[in-house]
Amino acid sequence: MDAVLALFHFPFMQRAIIAGAFLGILFACLGVLATLRKMTFFGEGVAHASLAGIAIAILAGVAPLPFAMAWAVIIAIVIFFLERSTKLASDTVIGILFTASMALGVILMNFSHGFQPELLSFLFGSILAIQTIDLIVIGVTSTIILAWFFTYLRQLTFLSLNQEGAYVAGVPVIIQTLMFYIALAISTVLGVKILGIILVSALLVLPAATSRMLAGTFRSYLIIAIVVAELIIFSGLAVSFYLDLPSGATIVLVGTGLFTLAAVYKHLK
Amino acid sequence: MPTKSRTTAKPAISVEHLSVHYNDAPVLQDVSFEIPNGHIAAILGPNGSGKTTLIRSMLGLTKKTSGEVRMLGCHVHEIRSKISYVPQLFQFDRQFPMTVREFMNIVRHAGEDQNLINGKILEVGLKEEILEKNIGMLSGGELQRVLIAQAILNNPDILILDEPSTGIDVVGEAAFVGILKHLRDKHGTTILLVSHDVAMVLNLVDSVVCINRTLICAGPPKRALTERKLADLYGSDAHLYEHHHEYHNHH
Repeated sequence: MDAVLALFHFPFMQRAIIAGAFLGILFACLGVLATLRKMTFFGEGVAHASLAGIAIAILAGVAPLPFAMAWAVIIAIVIFFLERSTKLASDTVIGILFTASMALGVILMNFSHGFQPELLSFLFGSILAIQTIDLIVIGVTSTIILAWFFTYLRQLTFLSLNQEGAYVAGVPVIIQTLMFYIALAISTVLGVKILGIILVSALLVLPAATSRMLAGTFRSYLIIAIVVAELIIFSGLAVSFYLDLPSGATIVLVGTGLFTLAAVYKHLK
Repeated sequence: MPTKSRTTAKPAISVEHLSVHYNDAPVLQDVSFEIPNGHIAAILGPNGSGKTTLIRSMLGLTKKTSGEVRMLGCHVHEIRSKISYVPQLFQFDRQFPMTVREFMNIVRHAGEDQNLINGKILEVGLKEEILEKNIGMLSGGELQRVLIAQAILNNPDILILDEPSTGIDVVGEAAFVGILKHLRDKHGTTILLVSHDVAMVLNLVDSVVCINRTLICAGPPKRALTERKLADLYGSDAHLYEHHHEYHNHH
């Protein structure tokens, strides 16, 4: 019991757990619609693309998180308009932009001299990385995105299932789709602190995919995805804390284990 | 008798000199027609004649090159809440966890009674039990009826359906015809459907719009769809036979 309570004793763990609670709900909700819209590669792309924003912020000596968020929003808007204007497949557009932006990030980091612990924490995630200001940014931004998500959930579901039907019915398809891209981009960057650029998109996929194995209704799909996301993050953080492992990798492996169990359960049912 | 009065002088749908080009190649040329209020109308034409392009451009889903489309006397974007559209192919992940009730609920206007959903399901000839079924478990005919029930949930004035009888068997088709007549007669809904099934359509509609890249004919079917117009539409081998108040196409 003492060992469990020790988790909550350290301020850095308190911050990581609170941030994880916000991120769990956020990624579960967006992941449900992102998997429906086959947009999980978008999260992967934006996360990698955010390296350039982080590199610029580190070189300029400013806080990386807001800068990376702004950069990710620009990338999301460019992806949105390029998809429409070039008629190229979404994964092609994302593939071009994410590699270009990541390449820019690598070149920029080349100008930064010496060891960059902050950059490493962005790449692989760290439970030590969440500062109080990060927690405030994560809490406020997540609340705003979740308020938008639940206010327009029916519209967002309608346009994810039947975009043309939604357009004819008067759903503001362009605005809501662009908002979804921006929300996804911002959330991805918020998750980078704990999971890292390389692994953050797993949090978009694993809770939704695990819930899909168990849910029978859309309501239960959303609820189970949230529960699974919180379970993955808390268990991953705890294992990471006790075994002194990188938080991002641990969360992803715990999530993969849970998904495997759910898939086996569905197969045996 | 329709429950709503739709006796305005303006037609429900008015299309004037509509042209659509894809990459400078004309797909539709100078199409004009009107559909009166409370009519069931069908757009007829062979494959590749531009039927789907016509309704997509009318709804703003495909950009028109020139021309004007008005519904209930207004531009389409001004009265979207009064129009419903059932697309030709509703492709979705059949494993997606969503019940028919939840599927219907996503289009329900905020504040409207949940019981509305039950009523619309009964209206399209389905049992209420289907509401708890997963949408991926529905047969083609059931899904078609659910799509129509969803489309009429908010009592649209105009219902547009693209190839609605595709994938439905003869029994399902008869039921489908009954549903559309019910919507016209009970609610006064103006219905425009795209079809390649001349026999089914002629037994159902009040007017036809025949196109093959341009307008061939329009009006009440018996007057508009003469043997000559049918030949213009489908080629010289096309004939129209009448049996027991039903038309059959042989082409």
